[in-house]
Amino acid sequence: MASSQHVLLSPAELAYLHASLSLTPPIRPDGRSPTQFRPLVAETGILPGTNGSARICFADGTEAIVGVKAEVERTRTRHDFPSLDLDEGAEDDDDLDDNQRDVVKGDNDWVEMTVEIPGYRDDDAGTVFLSAMLSEALLADGEFTKRLWINRRFHWKLYLDILLISPPLSYPLPLLSLTTHLALLATRLPRLKSEGDEDPLFDDDWAAAPYLYPRPTGKKGSKKAASAPTARPPVTLLVMAVGNNIIFDPSKEELAVADVALAVSVGESSSSSSTTSTSSSKPTAMDLDTEETKGHNLRLLSVRTIDPPSRLTPPGIPNASNSAYGANAGAKDTEKKKQQQEQARTAESEAVEGVWKAPRGGAKPLVMAALVQKVLEKGGVADEVLDALDGVDLN
Amino acid sequence: MPLDTSAYSLALLRVDGRRWNELRRIHAQIRTQAAADGSSYLEMGHTKVMCVVNGPSEPGPRRGATSGGGGGGGQSKNAEVAVNIVIAGFSSVDRKRRGRGDKHILELQSTISQALAASLHTHLFPHSTINISLHVLSQDGSLLAALINAATLACVDAGIPMTDYVAACTAGSTSTYAANDEGADPLLDMNHQEEQELPGLTVATLGDSDRVAVLVCESRVQVSRLEGMLAVGVDGCKQVREILDRVVREKGIKMIQEGTVERGVGLNDMELD
Repeated sequence: MASSQHVLLSPAELAYLHASLSLTPPIRPDGRSPTQFRPLVAETGILPGTNGSARICFADGTEAIVGVKAEVERTRTRHDFPSLDLDEGAEDDDDLDDNQRDVVKGDNDWVEMTVEIPGYRDDDAGTVFLSAMLSEALLADGEFTKRLWINRRFHWKLYLDILLISPPLSYPLPLLSLTTHLALLATRLPRLKSEGDEDPLFDDDWAAAPYLYPRPTGKKGSKKAASAPTARPPVTLLVMAVGNNIIFDPSKEELAVADVALAVSVGESSSSSSTTSTSSSKPTAMDLDTEETKGHNLRLLSVRTIDPPSRLTPPGIPNASNSAYGANAGAKDTEKKKQQQEQARTAESEAVEGVWKAPRGGAKPLVMAALVQKVLEKGGVADEVLDALDGVDLN
Repeated sequence: MPLDTSAYSLALLRVDGRRWNELRRIHAQIRTQAAADGSSYLEMGHTKVMCVVNGPSEPGPRRGATSGGGGGGGQSKNAEVAVNIVIAGFSSVDRKRRGRGDKHILELQSTISQALAASLHTHLFPHSTINISLHVLSQDGSLLAALINAATLACVDAGIPMTDYVAACTAGSTSTYAANDEGADPLLDMNHQEEQELPGLTVATLGDSDRVAVLVCESRVQVSRLEGMLAVGVDGCKQVREILDRVVREKGIKMIQEGTVERGVGLNDMELD
């Protein structure tokens, strides 16, 4: 599932689309504003056989289902692991609890993610890249796998199966990411009844099962007021730039003329202290939660460039060098021909108004910075998306 | 967990409380997905499948995942019915991941493809492909039957001409092969637990007729029991056909009421309330 699907647009149409997207404000083919997402329908808890599940339908008809299944797995004992002093722990229970909290740590092997896209093999490069991008965002800060820790001998193994139901009409990354986000929010693991390092024993009562991502205790309306800082699974947004315009959630046609396309993963940190500690260790992380204002404590988890399909589009030819428009008809003598060849060469290297030319070279650092900045802005798009996902009823 | 079949003779009730000739709840929807030519969602008990049909269209670049089914390649006079089944990892109780090349899935694909190719008017669409992709979200027995029913509904939604519904269901027998019980009753519509333990078969018929389109039996069973099982299965298929037909008609009436489709000739006879 490559981002470069065949878009049946002629060079002239590509040029027109590129020109209209470079205007200020840009004019998108479907009339959205640059930061507007496609409308979507979302529901959670659709599959009672899973620990958590979600389904999202975009307005263009693309649809994805994510199911999360958890299994208890024995943690591999490592030889470098500090030996367990079970006797000592049994003597003073209070200390044991503290010790355990220190020990809690996760392993990236505890999460397995598979992406299924109809018509594509599961070992297709594009499919593998998609699942790598999604799991990378989830595992980036190492906080997620800590939630799967049961005790020193056992952990949860989480299987995330992502199904794209519809044929991939647009690059499915935002859809899959939002669906995964909702499924993880709806995921519940059985309540642990055993204590310490015993073999885990769980409560049969599903109603008592805690959520993997505990939610604020306040009521729906007063969620903002309670503002208990809760962690959320990451969201990966697809952002692209055309000229100096930044456009969110591009459709397939828009992606076909993108200068740069980025997949930006954003997470919400649980507390500011943990944010600073992790951000200092990660060079790419940006700390934007210094001021205590409303909104989410957004944190950059990962950035990936997506190869924009525009690089594979056929270039247009200016009329001056197009033989169909009589470019070579009048060229009798070699002198004139030579001149025209030179003209054609400049046309190839320089941008001509209204003629499509595939973008060459890398992205400008300033544009890249602006893209990331725009995502992380307070009250920006990522904030809006997270707020909107808050509105989905989790059951 | 072995299924206790000894209790059946006491109250003549099965593990899930059904009588021998009762179907599980069948719930179906068509046109669930806007982007596809045809789509459906079908639940038979706890077995849940989704189907998306695209086509008939020009055959695209050959991708390895499709199984060439009835009708042959894209260059033939008949449309090719390409079926692609994805069994989600979370569909069964214990997560089991099946690869694309799984023999069981390949067999399901070719069975469905051949059954539909016989029922669809593929000769109307030469040099083209009908892509049927099926997603299994949850399994609890009668998987093949659910897949066939979902595919039929999606083909109806896609507006591909076909002779009649291909309706499928399963039938089994109340005692195991080893028990060699002559007085075993046939059972209709088996769930996963029964499928594990008891002999069973999947049968699909064409519309109202008794013409069998698919008959798959993967377990050992005495020949003397087969006739009874088949009779019950064919009878179940007729019930399933009624249910599928009702789903299509309800959706059709709804679409006319909403004004999505114009009221055609002959539709005046239909009861619109």
